[in-house]
Amino acid sequence: MNKKGIIVGAIAVIVAIGIIASYSSPSTETVNLDMGRTHGTVSTAMGSPILGDTSAPITIVEFGDYQCHQCFNWFHNTKPGIYENYIAEGKAKLVFVDLAFLGRDSPTAAQASYCAEDQEKYWEYHDLLYNSQEDKIDNGWANSERLKAFAFSLGLDMELFEGCLDSGKYSKRVQYNVSEAKKHGVRGTPNFIIVGPDNQQEQISGAQPYTVFKQIMDNMI
Amino acid sequence: MLIGLLILSEYIFIEPYITGHIPKGTEFGFSLIIILSALSALVLPMNVYRINILKNSKGKIGGSVFGSFIGAAAGACSCGPIGFAIISTFGSIGATSMAFLTNYEIPIRIAAIGLLALTYYTTVKSLKVECKLKPQ
Repeated sequence: MNKKGIIVGAIAVIVAIGIIASYSSPSTETVNLDMGRTHGTVSTAMGSPILGDTSAPITIVEFGDYQCHQCFNWFHNTKPGIYENYIAEGKAKLVFVDLAFLGRDSPTAAQASYCAEDQEKYWEYHDLLYNSQEDKIDNGWANSERLKAFAFSLGLDMELFEGCLDSGKYSKRVQYNVSEAKKHGVRGTPNFIIVGPDNQQEQISGAQPYTVFKQIMDNMI
Repeated sequence: MLIGLLILSEYIFIEPYITGHIPKGTEFGFSLIIILSALSALVLPMNVYRINILKNSKGKIGGSVFGSFIGAAAGACSCGPIGFAIISTFGSIGATSMAFLTNYEIPIRIAAIGLLALTYYTTVKSLKVECKLKPQ
């Protein structure tokens, strides 16, 4: 009886320690991630939620950095056409994977976008960051205080958002995305892997015009 | 040099198709690249000529090469493969230097154009003196 009691007690202590550790660890992610999510050869499990119809035949995987000027150019000059003619039409969907390498504020901005995802505002926050980008890297426009101010302007629960950002909850998620980008030979931002219905892949480097994307995607459909 | 700078600054793309475009808001940067390349095309051969034919001092070619180099370096966008390679290799020092080149891209290009214009002026002036036919 005593022996059994000791074993049960030990198991209970181990389980309790495990539960406490899982709640106290700052890098633990509680968001529901589909760990098996891949598009072509790219694991997008830790990337953004999908923009557009999840069953769309074409997937655009964008590797980007919130401080990158060329990403800003693509966001404002090319993406609207793609959204209007492919994503809104259900022909393509978009996934954003962070390649946050440009400055000290880049990984923080990427983490903040996932904190916004916790409150189902990922794409609103993503768009706000690209609409608010300033022309200088690390000049403070994407520091922690500004990121919180952006969250406030979107009406997010600030206690949750600040807790998430300050704890570095999504730092490993961003690191995973960076390593996934490097694994696929991505050497700069923005960079795109277009995955077709038969899993054929085309890579596009740089903020290329809409016509290039159109030609590739039309060939895939 | 013009083609190289336009590729580096992502005005021209080679893959998957050769294509070029000038995104809204980058027209001024594009104009500076054209001016920089035109001045480099004028100043560099003039100074090479001075050195090869006239066996003259090499001082001015330093200004023209330096002007062209810093102008080109400012065009190597930190988002692109060169910036990525530098940041990956040199870490935070690389990131700081690339951030500087990106943040001050326009002033650096203007300074490079100024340096090249000055070199052009002094080169033309000295060539006028050195190439002047002496009366018999």
